[in-house]
Amino acid sequence: MTVDAVTQPIARVGALAKALRPHLRVPRFLGQRSFLLSSATVVALFLAWVLVTSTGLANELFLPGPAAVWNAFVKAAISGYQGSTLLEHVAASLYRILVAFALACVVGIPLGVLMGVSRDANALLTPLIEFYRPLPPLGLYTLLVMWLGIGDESKLALLFLAALPGLIITTIQAVRTIDPIYVRAARSLGASHRQILFGVYLPAAGPTILAGMRISLGFTYTVLVAAEIVAATAGIGWMIWDAAKFLLSDVVIMGLIVLGLTGVALDAVMRLVGRLLMPWTLRGRQ
Amino acid sequence: MKTIAKVTALALGLVCGHGASAQDKPEKITIGYLNLVNAQLVTKNLGLVAEEIPDVEIEYIKVGGGGDMLRAIAAGQVDFGGLGNPPTAIGLTRGLPIKGILVLNMLGYVEAMAVRTSAGIESLADLKGKRVAAPFGSTTHYLLLKALAEEGIDPATMEILDLPPSDIAVAWVRGDIDAAWFWEPNLNKAVQNGGEIMVHSGEMAERGYPTWDIGVVMEEFAETYPDLVTSFIKAECAGIDFWLENPEKTAEIIAEELSLSVEDATRMMNGTEMVPCDEQLTAEYLGSPGEIGEFADTLVSTAEFLVEQDRLPKLLTREEFAAKIDPSYVAGVVGE
Repeated sequence: MTVDAVTQPIARVGALAKALRPHLRVPRFLGQRSFLLSSATVVALFLAWVLVTSTGLANELFLPGPAAVWNAFVKAAISGYQGSTLLEHVAASLYRILVAFALACVVGIPLGVLMGVSRDANALLTPLIEFYRPLPPLGLYTLLVMWLGIGDESKLALLFLAALPGLIITTIQAVRTIDPIYVRAARSLGASHRQILFGVYLPAAGPTILAGMRISLGFTYTVLVAAEIVAATAGIGWMIWDAAKFLLSDVVIMGLIVLGLTGVALDAVMRLVGRLLMPWTLRGRQ
Repeated sequence: MKTIAKVTALALGLVCGHGASAQDKPEKITIGYLNLVNAQLVTKNLGLVAEEIPDVEIEYIKVGGGGDMLRAIAAGQVDFGGLGNPPTAIGLTRGLPIKGILVLNMLGYVEAMAVRTSAGIESLADLKGKRVAAPFGSTTHYLLLKALAEEGIDPATMEILDLPPSDIAVAWVRGDIDAAWFWEPNLNKAVQNGGEIMVHSGEMAERGYPTWDIGVVMEEFAETYPDLVTSFIKAECAGIDFWLENPEKTAEIIAEELSLSVEDATRMMNGTEMVPCDEQLTAEYLGSPGEIGEFADTLVSTAEFLVEQDRLPKLLTREEFAAKIDPSYVAGVVGE
């Protein structure tokens, strides 16, 4: 099967949507090729899931069907899972992720700018960051629990440490790859250090920093379950961990889907904010 | 295509040429054993299974806890395994193809509730408003909630936290928690840091809530190689006898296997009860074929607790649990 076999019908649907738009007020993105291709992937995955589970190819213990996962979702949303509703689990986890990520941005981005601009700062801080960056966050976790206790502090610290290195490294990269002509031009026009930082460095480095933030947020998500293993009573990561112990695969899959969707939503928000704050990143794309 | 033909020819050759022996013995037997103190460590250390089953490779895999063992069983990665009563109830209710064939150990004061002396906790009622830790889904989580229920104390009046045993020890030393029901060797760290034992699992057994670990076999393996299951049980019974007859040597073996001090190993041994194979056939344990013993009742009680907790979707009957306990292999070995 060629790619055309997939894309042609999609293109036709797209054309149809375009043709209908004046009459039906179909939202614009619905007719876009990329949206339709993405939808095709989601639909194909879902159909494969239905097919594999309904034909009995997969053991229900390992891969429950969509109906079981939906039921787990409804049950958790209405009557809750182990004392907290799904919304409370999501809120507890998002709170941890967002606070830790925001702290990492506040610390990591200025550090990255500093290290990118100043060779001395870079030399001072590199050993520290290069050493801890490859360490698995779980290895640090026992220490964090010893130092900070079993409350939210150690969880936030673990998430913070997972987010930090990616932010610093992409920011350094972003600052270093700025065309020196911009800086020289600003300087020759008499710009102050402050003006150069906010008028040249940040706007020029912004898009790469945003990409780094998006990647870092992903890293934060990867340690969420680990962070919530210790003494959490709410949180999507804890729910997944707890359900796995009791072989409740439907709850595990439901939790993963919910967690994934919050990740997609947060990423979309970050892209939107990026577009609003840095409209110049769109130049040349459209 | 060529490769497939070759493989088919090879397979046919194997079946025709050595059919009988290929049926009698698998290439390898995988034994998953729990990271706790019982005679299985002796059996492993002395190579007793290999003595009984000389021409098959025996592989031992150390499994951290019941949850991991359930996953290993669900994925078919072990032939024999060991499970505490909560994971056994979970696995059987979820339809895992296993049956219990051997009492690995009865849990005594190796698992206990430690309370901080300075917190003034003298009875379970004093736990109100305190932070209490237990690894959720374990034998001790089960006993904690059973003990509270027995005295009519609402668990919601205290903060019950889910922590792995090593983190309980850390949280204890930091002063984050005032009580915890968990197990050795970490339990001792709580006792040495301002803690004392309020109730241990052996006392709960006397009150009618025994907790234990049971040896399980994959049903398909047991059907295909019943003789090997008997050989396995024979080796494990020899290990249990060795434990009972040579406590000092056993302590050394356990210290070596789990990288503990001999002192720790001895304390843990004393807090764990081994049941000689002939006693396992009495009503208190596995029972005899056709008349399954109290292990089935414990499974029902455990499953009831898990259903109340909303962690199991349905409650199996005593008959359904009893059908998954098979003392016939132990009976075969004892009867010899």
